Amino acid sequence: MSAIRLIAVDELRLMARNRVAVIALALLVLLTIAAVVSSWAHQRGVAELRARHQSAAEEAFDAQPDRHPHRVVHYGTFIYRPLGPLAAFDPGVDAFTGNSMFLEGHRQNTVNFGDVRQSSLLVRFGQLTPAFVLQIVAPLLLIFLGYGVLARETERGTLRLLLLQGVSRRQIVLGKLSALGAVALLAGLPAMVGFVLIAGQPDALAAPMAVIAIGYAAYLALWTVVIVLFSTWAKRSRDALLSLVAVWAIMAVLVPRLAPDIASAATPLQNRFQTDVSIAEELRRTGDSHNPEDPHFAAFKQSVLDRYGVARVEDLPVNYKGVLALEGERMTAALFDRYAEASHAAQTRQNALVRAAGMFSPTIAVRDLSMAAAGTDFDGHRRFLEQAEAYRYALVQRLNHLQAEVVSFADDTAKDAGADRRKRIEAENWREMPDFAFRPSSGSELAASAMPGLLMVLAWLAAANLLLVAAARRLGGR
Amino acid sequence: MPHPSPIQVSELHVAYGSKPVLKGLNLDVPAGSITALLGGNGAGKSTTLATLLGFVKPQSGLVRIDGVDPADAPDAARRKLAYLPENVALYEHLSALENADYLLALSGAKRGRDAVREAFRAAGLQEEAWSQRLGGFSKGMRQKVAIAVALLRETPVLLLDEPTSGLDPKATTDFNHLAQAVRDRGAAILMVTHDLLSAADIADRIAFLEDGRITHSETASGPDRFDVRALHQRFAARTEAVPA
Repeated sequence: MSAIRLIAVDELRLMARNRVAVIALALLVLLTIAAVVSSWAHQRGVAELRARHQSAAEEAFDAQPDRHPHRVVHYGTFIYRPLGPLAAFDPGVDAFTGNSMFLEGHRQNTVNFGDVRQSSLLVRFGQLTPAFVLQIVAPLLLIFLGYGVLARETERGTLRLLLLQGVSRRQIVLGKLSALGAVALLAGLPAMVGFVLIAGQPDALAAPMAVIAIGYAAYLALWTVVIVLFSTWAKRSRDALLSLVAVWAIMAVLVPRLAPDIASAATPLQNRFQTDVSIAEELRRTGDSHNPEDPHFAAFKQSVLDRYGVARVEDLPVNYKGVLALEGERMTAALFDRYAEASHAAQTRQNALVRAAGMFSPTIAVRDLSMAAAGTDFDGHRRFLEQAEAYRYALVQRLNHLQAEVVSFADDTAKDAGADRRKRIEAENWREMPDFAFRPSSGSELAASAMPGLLMVLAWLAAANLLLVAAARRLGGR
Repeated sequence: MPHPSPIQVSELHVAYGSKPVLKGLNLDVPAGSITALLGGNGAGKSTTLATLLGFVKPQSGLVRIDGVDPADAPDAARRKLAYLPENVALYEHLSALENADYLLALSGAKRGRDAVREAFRAAGLQEEAWSQRLGGFSKGMRQKVAIAVALLRETPVLLLDEPTSGLDPKATTDFNHLAQAVRDRGAAILMVTHDLLSAADIADRIAFLEDGRITHSETASGPDRFDVRALHQRFAARTEAVPA
């Protein structure tokens, strides 16, 4: 057996004979299993609930009776964001952004019903998911198991005993790394097995799954190297433990919590109320379709009349009210899109700042790659919003077209006793409307979006390895 | 051409920063001999051992452990020597047998369990302690485990630092016999000690280290080997001159 393997086996034997270490590892495994099971059950429940609600919303929309198309515009419909198979491993921002949206004419509504708003405050501190266990809990356990791997040998004089057997410093450090690496593997294995079980569905994506597996392996390897590094530097075990706990608190807890606040302060977002007021003001400036004196709509009316070569709206071959609704929706949608774009740009800048904080915290980097690969990051949420708006706009305009083409202007403006019935069109029209179908990112898109985070984690790992090589040369004096 | 001694030190100069500690030390311990190095506090005994072990790099001079320079190739030099420190550090989570197995395997000198048991017996370690973890061992018991491991490595060089300091009189006698057996096997033994009587018992040569160099050296001769009284007077006079 090589010296490296002998040292690794002895370190593992020491851990196995230490009741605290065994209990800690057992607790981590139990915690991971609990995280896998609860996350799987939660996500499955959520996915079923959303599918059921989506189906109910579609049925309700289709079940509308004969009615005026503009009433259907205001009746609206609900859409729900379906969860990807990897969301069970890392739900990302899903709990905070919400998952359902009410689509209607003239408005772009926000997403509602995030878990955070419906659950206990504990959800805000991080759900118990396999990703959370690997990002936060596993490094802490590794610290408690590994802080003394070399500091203990230095403190007790056994480091010199090892050197006196003709073992090189490199062999000693590699032996300790191997032992702690094996523990890291053991700590990460249940989460990874759970990951494959809950995410390895027929429609799962191999590329992002591989990126997640590599990313977390690199992240735990990084912590292993950092722990051995601090243990190499420290003269006493206690010093190694205190330093490592401080490093963990800063990198895994403090920086990931502070970074979003700093980003938010650096690039403030308008709140919903401010946005609504701004949009209302701008809409008023843009024009009022109900005001015959409004310059924009007067010009629009004239352009429609010119196009059809008639002098009055009553002579148009289409229902002018429907045409007006089409124009109004185009204008409001463009305005809403502009505000949404500005908001997304600000959020993208915030996210870029948080991502840059990955230089100070590998936990941010791994979180970034994990959410990106799982499709549960801000980009995934934005993808849903964009598709939802595209669907809403197409739906509303299709209804406006129906109003323009199927309901006559005369009926639409009539106020006699039978007018209401004449304005209605057949319910079959609603049933022919296409349902919302969210198109998630492809596997290669998800994997590509996770690359910056993965590269950051790998850069951390490379830097830590370089430091360890330098520290190993000075291990135990000459 | 005579075979070079396993321990060779020539014109060795070692300093810690600007403070010189060894100032031209010359020492030669031939194979099959025991040299006792005596000296007061601060004379340079520990530095001599640390240099031989490859933990201190000399400013100048020659140091060889069985032909290997410990400054250039410390790992190779350490594989050629066994070292018994004054304060033995061993693994408390391992039993005496496991400690021996582990350390011998690391040094590439794996021995069978029978050989390890025989060495424990020879070192005077009670049989019931062999399978016990070292957590409850006395200093003397640890010393015996370390002695057994050092002997089992069968290296050409054995370095001893106050080897009998934790041992009772019987264990000291046992140890002396073991050291002589190792010497008779052909090893070169350098023993650093304050214990003149113990040194006189087993050493073939006694050297006094003072202010970083050997100031007096005597080889055993005749049935009485050394004039202990004269050596004691010389040793006492020299150590008194060195501030504690």
